[in-house]
Amino acid sequence: MPIEFKKNRVLFRDEVAVEEAEGLLEWLQTRPAARVDLSACSHMHTANLQVLMTAKASITTWPKNAELRAWLEPVLKSVE
Amino acid sequence: MSRSPMNPLPPNPLLEQFLSESRDLLEATGKKLMQLEDAPTDQGILNELFRCVHTLKGNSGLFTFPEMTRVLHAGEDLLGMVRSGQASYSRELADRLLDAMDYVGLLLGEIETTEKIDAARAVESQHMAEALRKLMPSLISKQDAVSVANGGSSMAASPHAPLADDPVSVLPQLASIPEAARRSALEQCGQGDPLHWIAYRPQRECFFHGDDPLNSARQTPGLIWGRVLAPAPLPPLGELDTYSCLLGFDLLTNATREELDQYYRYLPDQVEITAVPALWLAKEQDEMKVLGNALSAADSSRALTADDEAVFNRILAAQRQILLLDDRPAWHAGRLKAVAAVLANLSQAVGEESGQADIQAALADALSTGHNTLLLAWLDMWLAAWRAAHKTVPPVASLPRVPGTDGRIAAAQTEGIAITSPSSENDSGKVPAEEGVKFGRRAEDSLIGPRSLKVDQAKIDRLMNLIGELVVSKNGLPYLAERAESQFGVRELSREIKGQYSIINRIADEMQDAIMQVRMMAVSFVFQRFPRLVRDISRKLGKEVQLVLEGEQTEADKNIIESLADPLIHIVRNSLDHGLETPEVRLAAGKPVTGKLTIRAAQEADRVVIEIVDDGKGIDPAVIKQKAYEKGIIDEATFERMGDQEAINLIFAAGLSTAAVVSDLSGRGVGMDVVRTAVEKINGAVVIESQFGKGTSIRISLPLSMAVTQVMVIESDGQLFGVPMDHVVETVRVPRSSIHTIKQSQTAVLRGRVVPLKALNTLLGITAIPRPNLDDELAVLLVQAGAIELGLLVDGFQETMGVIQKPFDGFLSGLSAYSGSALMGDGSVLMILNIREIV
Repeated sequence: MPIEFKKNRVLFRDEVAVEEAEGLLEWLQTRPAARVDLSACSHMHTANLQVLMTAKASITTWPKNAELRAWLEPVLKSVE
Repeated sequence: MSRSPMNPLPPNPLLEQFLSESRDLLEATGKKLMQLEDAPTDQGILNELFRCVHTLKGNSGLFTFPEMTRVLHAGEDLLGMVRSGQASYSRELADRLLDAMDYVGLLLGEIETTEKIDAARAVESQHMAEALRKLMPSLISKQDAVSVANGGSSMAASPHAPLADDPVSVLPQLASIPEAARRSALEQCGQGDPLHWIAYRPQRECFFHGDDPLNSARQTPGLIWGRVLAPAPLPPLGELDTYSCLLGFDLLTNATREELDQYYRYLPDQVEITAVPALWLAKEQDEMKVLGNALSAADSSRALTADDEAVFNRILAAQRQILLLDDRPAWHAGRLKAVAAVLANLSQAVGEESGQADIQAALADALSTGHNTLLLAWLDMWLAAWRAAHKTVPPVASLPRVPGTDGRIAAAQTEGIAITSPSSENDSGKVPAEEGVKFGRRAEDSLIGPRSLKVDQAKIDRLMNLIGELVVSKNGLPYLAERAESQFGVRELSREIKGQYSIINRIADEMQDAIMQVRMMAVSFVFQRFPRLVRDISRKLGKEVQLVLEGEQTEADKNIIESLADPLIHIVRNSLDHGLETPEVRLAAGKPVTGKLTIRAAQEADRVVIEIVDDGKGIDPAVIKQKAYEKGIIDEATFERMGDQEAINLIFAAGLSTAAVVSDLSGRGVGMDVVRTAVEKINGAVVIESQFGKGTSIRISLPLSMAVTQVMVIESDGQLFGVPMDHVVETVRVPRSSIHTIKQSQTAVLRGRVVPLKALNTLLGITAIPRPNLDDELAVLLVQAGAIELGLLVDGFQETMGVIQKPFDGFLSGLSAYSGSALMGDGSVLMILNIREIV
């Protein structure tokens, strides 16, 4: 699975497709304090990014892929 | 799901709907364009027109038809400019737009047959779009602030501003490029690479097309830097629609324009690619100085040239736009300072040093309070004063009046995306809610087209056939009642059957009427193509023609209306080509320069009458006679005794053409013959009247509906025949004694006229002679077929009735004496005589 839900944490792996967005949204709606681990993520569909942005999700680990990280960092917030 | 921006073909029903909607819109567009030609300033028509083209474009964008979208987009932009008064409506403009619409029609046809557009069309469509845009450049040089305002506000709302190549609009946004990326870009520039700024605003529904905008952005060739942004504030989490794309992207790349066009070829309307001069990536202060210097260098005497004024104006508008931005990014203070610096430089450049202190004060205020109001007010004030002094500058009115609202709405209008204006301290007034909605895409769509249902014609035809059968079988009930009484002697039952019959009869009649109504179409369906036709032909022929359409709302059966189209076009062409004269000839003849062609439709009883009247040179009966004689259509004897009206009627004869030269318009001698045949095929009649030198009037009379034919039932030799009422003039009984035989033919004098008589039996090859009644009178049915009037000797008359005529098919179709058959209520078959053939 490119996306893996833990108790209060979600892991993105490889490429996260548009189909995941709906589930991600539902999951995040019930967990306002959820954290997101993107370390293994190489790409996420715009829909997922949109969900993360809207949910103001806290990112624990930024993608190893520096280029992707450069895109995401300005619009997503890191865990303080 | 594919990650490439290529879209899969849509499912067919959607495509079909798109095609049918597009055709309607195209038609409406053509019509509106013609209307606009008469009233070029009518804002209402202009708005409608814009909306049509806009919707067309929007719809085409739902599919993978970039070629169509491209042309429509150019058309839309052009119309947008006309609408906002930046361009004026001209014949040339109308020509181009009509051409473009024709081209779109062509593409639609292609899509219909092949479900795609040939790749080779890409170049054509590019040319077409360029041709449209060519009508705009003169406007761009007179550049005013609106386009810049649009460009600037594209950040807030619009995925595309009409003037994508205007680099100034990008200027404020370059400030958001982080230092590292800026340096890197500058370095690349040093190597001679071009720089492009791409504002990529994906369509909301792009996910459904299989697009992944983030991926597209990441894969953009030559990408140096990019950012994700939310053009409109993101909704609360609970209201987020995961399948609607809310994000946009700003990208800086060093790829060439060709590469970028190629990469974004499927999304040309979603990206705005702007070439960025490397200079702009220099430090802000440097950049401002350069601009300032350029201005002051332009004219040291401080009288700016028109070009400079335009630049000046543009810069001011851009600054204004920056001040209007609603977001409060970290670099807000920097931005304000930059604006102040630009303003200071500008005022210096035009020699108004006095402003310096004010600007600094306003800046200080803005920085301390975080509100731009003072700075903005100063800018507006200064702008107004400056404009008053420089009258040549494009209109003030084109600048957004209410800060932050008009600009955004204008942009939203251009793209048709519903946006809600986020409230901000900048907004001096609240945007009325309905205004925001009014320009929303969906709301706009609902305004177009009446509430109607599109039904396949086959379904209506089926209903029609069914009701026809119902009428026939219903007619069987009186016979049944008859039998119940006479054969079985149950009078009570007979009465009840009759009672039931009258109810069913009423319902069936109403139903038939209702179905007829469904099939009814206004003649405007045919008329609407005439303005274009007349315009094109008259311009080709160098004639001035005013077309007057009357009674467009007159309705008739769809088949009738449709079969009317070709004959009418022939007649109109003929009138334009042969009838109406060139302006010089008209002047010489003492007529108004502009010829008048009137097409009038009206309902007369159960018939539709269409008149085509021109005030042209009319028909010279002598010329027609001569021609007909030369071509062997009439013999010498006929030539001698032929009257003027008869001669004029000769134009309906096959093979006659009076035109000296065969042109692509008319002159092949088939025109009027075709008209007559087509009209008669639908039981219509055509009459021509012409006054030589004054004009011609052609009158076509058609039945309202072909479904039910009124026939008179006649009896001859014990058989029943039907004669269409259209042909029946009168029924009389003539005493045998008053029938005279002249040469071999029988004649009688009816109402002072000599009428030839023929026995129906003879015409049908029946040997029996007509039977007189007890008073020794013969029944004469006076019929008219075209110009021929004839008395048919029959045995007796019966009632007239409405029948549903079925044409013969197969083996029987060769029987020309009958036009068809109909079922009578008792189940017997009634043969309908084809009067035209037998007389």
